Amino acid sequence: MADKKTVGHAYNIDFLNVVFAASSIFLLLSVFWMVWDDFDRDWKNTQRRFTSLEMQVTNQQLQLATAGVDREQLQLAQQQRAAARQAVAANGAKVDELQDVVDELDARLGLESQDYQFAKATYDVDRYAFEVRRDAGRAGPQEEEAIAAQAANVAELNLAVETTTAEREEAQAAVGKFTAQVGEAQSQIDELLTERRRLMGRITSISPSLVKTLFLDGPMTDFLAPTIKVKQVVLPDIRDDVNFMRVPKMDRCQTCHLAIDTKGYEEYPQPFRTHSNLSAYLGSDSPHPLNEIGCTVCHDGMGQSVDFTLTAHTPQNMEQEHEWEELYDWAPKHDWDYPMLPLGMAEASCVKCHREEAFVPGANVLGDAYATFERAGCYACHKVRGFEGLRKPGPSLTRLKGKLGQQWVADWIREPTAAKPATWMPQIWYNSNSSSPEDAPRNEVEISSVVTYLFENSEEFSVPSPPTPGDITAGRELVENVGCLGCHITTETDRSAAGPRRTFGQPLQGVGAKASYAWIYDWVRNPKHYSPSTFMPDLRLSEKEAADVAAYLTTLGGKATGPVTGNPDPQMVDAVLLDYLKTSMPAATAEAELASLDDHAKQLELGRRAIERYGCFSCHDIKGFENTQPIGVELSEEASKLVTRLDFAFEDIHHTKMEWFEHKLADPRSFDRGRVLEPLDRLRMPDFHLSEHENQLLRTAIMSFQRYIQPPAALPPGGARKEFLTAGRRFVQRRNCVGCHVVEGAGGDYETVVAEASLAPPLLTPEGSRVQPDWLYRFLRSPISIRPWLDVRMPTFGLDDEHWNQAISYFQAIPDAIRPFQTFEPAVASSNTATGEVLFDTLKCQQCHVLGDVPAGQPTANLAPDLRMAWERLNPEWIDDWMRVPLRIVPGTRMPGFWPNLPESDFPEFDGDGEQQIKAIREHIMTFRGGPSPKRSGN
Amino acid sequence: MQLIKDVINALADPRLFFLMSVAALFLLIWKREVFASNKVGYWLFGLLTAFLIFGSFDENFQKIIGKPDNVPIVGLIFLLVFFTWFSVREGVLNDRRIAAGKGPIEKEESDRVWVWPDLVYTELICLVLFSVFLIVWSILLEAPLEQPASQSATPNPSKAPWYFLGLQEMLVYFDPWLAGVVLPSLIIVGLIAIPYIDTNEKGNGYYTIAERKAEIVIFMLGFIVLWCSLIVLGTFLRGPNWNFFGPFEYWDTHKLEALINVDLSQYIWMRGFGTGMPDFWLTREIFGILLVLGYVFALPPILARTLFKTYYEKMGPSRYYVSAFLFLMMMSLPIKMLLRWVFNLKYIVSIPEFFFNI
Repeated sequence: MADKKTVGHAYNIDFLNVVFAASSIFLLLSVFWMVWDDFDRDWKNTQRRFTSLEMQVTNQQLQLATAGVDREQLQLAQQQRAAARQAVAANGAKVDELQDVVDELDARLGLESQDYQFAKATYDVDRYAFEVRRDAGRAGPQEEEAIAAQAANVAELNLAVETTTAEREEAQAAVGKFTAQVGEAQSQIDELLTERRRLMGRITSISPSLVKTLFLDGPMTDFLAPTIKVKQVVLPDIRDDVNFMRVPKMDRCQTCHLAIDTKGYEEYPQPFRTHSNLSAYLGSDSPHPLNEIGCTVCHDGMGQSVDFTLTAHTPQNMEQEHEWEELYDWAPKHDWDYPMLPLGMAEASCVKCHREEAFVPGANVLGDAYATFERAGCYACHKVRGFEGLRKPGPSLTRLKGKLGQQWVADWIREPTAAKPATWMPQIWYNSNSSSPEDAPRNEVEISSVVTYLFENSEEFSVPSPPTPGDITAGRELVENVGCLGCHITTETDRSAAGPRRTFGQPLQGVGAKASYAWIYDWVRNPKHYSPSTFMPDLRLSEKEAADVAAYLTTLGGKATGPVTGNPDPQMVDAVLLDYLKTSMPAATAEAELASLDDHAKQLELGRRAIERYGCFSCHDIKGFENTQPIGVELSEEASKLVTRLDFAFEDIHHTKMEWFEHKLADPRSFDRGRVLEPLDRLRMPDFHLSEHENQLLRTAIMSFQRYIQPPAALPPGGARKEFLTAGRRFVQRRNCVGCHVVEGAGGDYETVVAEASLAPPLLTPEGSRVQPDWLYRFLRSPISIRPWLDVRMPTFGLDDEHWNQAISYFQAIPDAIRPFQTFEPAVASSNTATGEVLFDTLKCQQCHVLGDVPAGQPTANLAPDLRMAWERLNPEWIDDWMRVPLRIVPGTRMPGFWPNLPESDFPEFDGDGEQQIKAIREHIMTFRGGPSPKRSGN
Repeated sequence: MQLIKDVINALADPRLFFLMSVAALFLLIWKREVFASNKVGYWLFGLLTAFLIFGSFDENFQKIIGKPDNVPIVGLIFLLVFFTWFSVREGVLNDRRIAAGKGPIEKEESDRVWVWPDLVYTELICLVLFSVFLIVWSILLEAPLEQPASQSATPNPSKAPWYFLGLQEMLVYFDPWLAGVVLPSLIIVGLIAIPYIDTNEKGNGYYTIAERKAEIVIFMLGFIVLWCSLIVLGTFLRGPNWNFFGPFEYWDTHKLEALINVDLSQYIWMRGFGTGMPDFWLTREIFGILLVLGYVFALPPILARTLFKTYYEKMGPSRYYVSAFLFLMMMSLPIKMLLRWVFNLKYIVSIPEFFFNI
């Protein structure tokens, strides 16, 4: 116990006093600290910064608005108002007198109304009481009279009220005769100045003031009615899955992103930037308004938080990551399973609501992602919901013998990019976990055995003898102009730059070293001879054209060959095959099995097992593997997987899903690094040599493979139109129509290989409203030339009716104009068509439109289709729409808009009635005959 | 630097940790005269603080100590050390006084009760200081909220609340029935029974050690060693998969330990007699059963005639047998731990047919 200073105390009281004082001071300081900590939050500071920015921007807008006011009109209105006021002042006495009358009548009206109301109330009560008494048989005749008298009284009072009201209105109108003009002028002025007024009001409400700073937003007092507060949007229809419940999402992103749905902040740095494309996202007239969709359903992240790091913002790349680490002390957030998608990958979330829609219009990044996913053939090894039943992405190998040589195949599967730098075939051997000196002999025997197996299990196939090789230069011109480049690249080596649509068909580099002239000729003439299920269409090449093309393609030679195949080291074959056998049986049985096979059988068995291990059969048809299950992990809900399910091994990356996917796609075998593994226990996903861009696209695709959580109320409505659109979009993407044509804002990659856009295949978005469906059906079955000046031609695809109907319904569903076949009465010659002919000449339609002959002296960009086809090809109503505003239907068209101010017209016919003029021209056009048609000659 | 950390990591191994705590307890009681000085008190505090400061420069140490869940246990260590030291000191001081014939200090001036300002003022000061402590804590340490719990993601390690970590540690050595039900019930029963079996009137209302040595040692063994130090072990030194990790060791979820343990019956039949295991459980486990029965029923009477003779005579048979039983149950934990560490012993009695193992 401490020393006693004073008698009767256990402690030294002076010392205790000091301790008490000190601790009280500490308490005061800690309270100050607590208040300060609450006051100095990051999000509050962000809102304070925004206030000054908003002041600045609104002031700018105010200046613009002030400058934008029509000075003349304003002056006029102000003068009118001044004059009207003068008029009122001049008649001041009269106006006052009239106003007095009005006031007097007002007073009288008030009293009379009151009297009436009292009388009526009393009457109602009495009448009801009377009715009750009468019903009980206790009412006498005097009462009935009294009631009637009361009713009459009430009616009289009411009449008085009505009369006074009418008088008052008259008197008011009399006053109004003088003052109304002032009001009119005033409202005109107000209208001119609305925007200005609104902005000034806004400035007043957001200007900082002493009250705001000290009291409303001050430390400790800002719980009462702050102007700086958390802003949130609660979305009852959009859910967060918290594992045992699905709760409405609550997004507080706007607390810092204050201008996200306000126009005018597009140029400012985050977090104050306006959202891109407000008309599609967050605008009040967009399909995704902010108060119905929030933020995190598209961007993920932790919407409930208001701290930069804790909301799980994800940087786009390493530079941004370093920047954030320095500026904001950022680190990946551990305790949130679904961090934000990096900017540019937000479209992966479209599928949350737009389910099973493989291609969502407006989400072009997602469209590219899926196109890359499908072209790379990921779905072939990895099952994904929505991608079942698609064809195998690689060519069939069941007839290999008739096309390729064993040496070429061995070199090819050893290193595909050596023969074709832009190929989609991935690298299976000599990857980062199989390139050591001990692995090389194993790889070689596996490759050799696979080749042996493939050739052993190939059907016979022979091509008829071709004509003599054609002209190489002519062939090259054909290949580069007739449309091959819509799906194939010839000399380009950058697969990522070309994109998945222009590499839809295999790259043609090296094809000369691969296949013989005869085979190429046979293929180009009739692809389905070698491969009945191929998607390659028929370009209707004549014999000469095909010979030219084949001659040219044969010149696209190959590279030096690798080690000679066909003679693998027998000991190595034994060793590797034994390893394989031991995976499915005990060691003793494996040895016995091995001993029972001869050399050739061993190679076949090893080839079979290697194909089974590496999954070649997932992408290629191979005999003996018709029903084998693919080797990849199912990816249907990969984005909903928890990060704890992924094995990071010894790789030094952040433990997030995004980084794992990026690392895996960049080098699929990298997670074997540093591990001690038997050769057959190693990772086996092949390497696709993806570029950064392709990697990001595939990650976007993977992040779109999610569990479906959102309730039906959140989903866009379905219906027949929707189904046609979904099926149609899949069709045009998966058959690569979009490789050549732009449809609904996607595709049209062919434009990159022509000199200018007008030389590319036409825009197909308006096709449904533009053409008659039966014409379209005939055309698709057997295309004709609509624009004869173009070299590129529409191929014959040889599909069945089901596909064609899918396409036609799709095109019609785009403008929501699904309609049956119609007969359009041909216009009889009438005064209308005659006038139409006159207008046709005046407007010089034939200067650009083909009418039998291609107009001379016009650059190709100006040329337009043959109008003789119009009667059986085009919808008459569409022709009218087209003539009204062509640019709305085909942006960038050279067709002039002759009637900018409909229904007025610059032309004299029909008394300047533009609509009639348009109709007349159309009727005239519909009289033309004799153009090319897909309906004739048995097409 | 790394050498020091490696040494500490090695010393923190459960075997050494436990044995050192037992040794420290006996050292404390044996050399209590030395421990009673203020100098030793300050040294203890200084050493703990220095260790904390030294460790906080290490990333792994920081993560363990700085986890908001674990910060109170750091406080627990300080408090435990302080109160142990303080009570020992008070006991020693009183023992000195009693030896000098003066009587304990609590009996001096027992005619008055200190209230104002001694009690209330100091309480007020404590209130203020504690408020400061709580305010500062709540500003500096964030609430340890994690993402929504998921049935498909079990946390690793999955730890019990700190007050049950001692029991969770017992689960390493005992079957869940014993570690989770029987022994905890006996702990409670034992605590309830203390007033009935502790007949030593000495130490009533004053600190002492010499007059209550056995009781104090038993209690400290049970509380400080078998309960609190296992809490500390469970908080700081047990990581993913309930593996041991030193204070400066990285919590590697893939760390593997070769832990193949053998039952007593397996030792006896397979290694001892060289035959296979008998089918019938009674034959198989007879040795273990006899051992356990002997421990529970034969050992107390033996001890009554030998080691604990004085106690037997002092307490009488019923009190003695109850205390002996409870004491032997308490000691079964360190005994089992030692058997595990030395012989890799899993179960003394293993009857999977009835889900019963000891």
